[in-house]
Amino acid sequence: MAALVVPTHRRPPGIYRAAHAVRVVGAIVLVVLVLFAGTVAYSAYEVATSSAESHSLSAQFASNGSVDVSGTFSLSNPGWYPIQGLELSARIANGTGVFLGTFLVGPTTVAPGATGVFPFAIAIPISPSGPAESLLTTDQYLDVHAWGNATYAYLFHISVSLSQNRSWGAPFEGLHASLGAPVVMGGQVSVPVHVTFSDQSSEDDVGTMSFVIISASSVACGGATFPISVPSGSYFDQTEDATLSSGCSPAGGHLVITYTTPSGTLAFPPEPIP
Amino acid sequence: MTAPPPARGPTPEAAPARVPSLGYRILVAALRLVPGFLLLIALPVAALTFVNSHGYAIPISVVAVTAWGAALLAVGAAQYILKPTRAYGPLSIAYSLVGLLYLLYALSLSPYRFSLSGGTASIAAEYSKFLELLLIVPALGIVAGLLTTIEDARSPGGRLPFDFPG
Repeated sequence: MAALVVPTHRRPPGIYRAAHAVRVVGAIVLVVLVLFAGTVAYSAYEVATSSAESHSLSAQFASNGSVDVSGTFSLSNPGWYPIQGLELSARIANGTGVFLGTFLVGPTTVAPGATGVFPFAIAIPISPSGPAESLLTTDQYLDVHAWGNATYAYLFHISVSLSQNRSWGAPFEGLHASLGAPVVMGGQVSVPVHVTFSDQSSEDDVGTMSFVIISASSVACGGATFPISVPSGSYFDQTEDATLSSGCSPAGGHLVITYTTPSGTLAFPPEPIP
Repeated sequence: MTAPPPARGPTPEAAPARVPSLGYRILVAALRLVPGFLLLIALPVAALTFVNSHGYAIPISVVAVTAWGAALLAVGAAQYILKPTRAYGPLSIAYSLVGLLYLLYALSLSPYRFSLSGGTASIAAEYSKFLELLLIVPALGIVAGLLTTIEDARSPGGRLPFDFPG
């Protein structure tokens, strides 16, 4: 009588199993890496095509005689991986390319599916030859350029670049002052000064405007001060009389106009008098 | 009459190996060249041509991709044909080594940057690190090949019943 023999398979040797296991691990690693690369490429494309931009650019006059340009810069991350260690440098130039100021953002992290909103503020000092003069009296496009580095998907070094033109509405767009013909009344000579501009900014112009007539020999001939209240988007057109001191001729001189608010005083570029 | 000795339980036995003939292995290896060609040459070359035509410069050339892909295909085919022999382990090492050298060659052409523009923003990503990570795969392949070589040296033909079960 034959013994009952159950046929079985011999277990592969340990070294064979080890080689097999290493091959399987290698295949899994390859598949995981390829899938990872694919999802990263897709997510990075989503980030790049999302609307990274600057928002709500506005300005106000600071008490130290400067214009504070503030706004926000946003970068949305609709992808599946975080943007880590994001550090951005940015510069703003005026319509003629003159550098106005710079700001830094970060380092920060933008989580997947989130939008990073970064506020910024640049104080631009106003001086007769400074770059901020044109912001007061000329509508223009400001060039906002930001660039920086970050790590995307834990592994990939990325460079981010944003370039955008933002329209700028000047609070005293087209400011112009001109002198009329002198009028003699009761032995005093007065001259009408015609001031025009439009407020293209988002804020009302509420304050006091002053002008001083300076003669060609740099002598103050006279001036006037008057309150203004110009709503945003409105045109200002007003004539004020200035009494000239005796013997002082404004011809060949210039007009110095200043605008005063509780925050401070701004001096506009001098207007030459023909 | 004496009773037969009781069975001691199942004895581990390897199923006999059914090693395919050389002609069959050559035929299968030739057929495997078709998907291999698509994966290692046609697809990468098509992708490279596509991105280059869209203004994205990738440092590696079509010629290099074709040459390295062909090398991988050749060694891979030889590896398959000689799988029942002791040359299989060294050929596995050679195959992974070609893959490793391919990646190292590609890495030597770094940096790899891919720029994407959308709206007012653009993003440039460096993906050299990805190629560095991919080095793990051929490295593991070399280890597996070494183990197979050792296995064949210690027990020639010992793996055949498992590689070619009956």
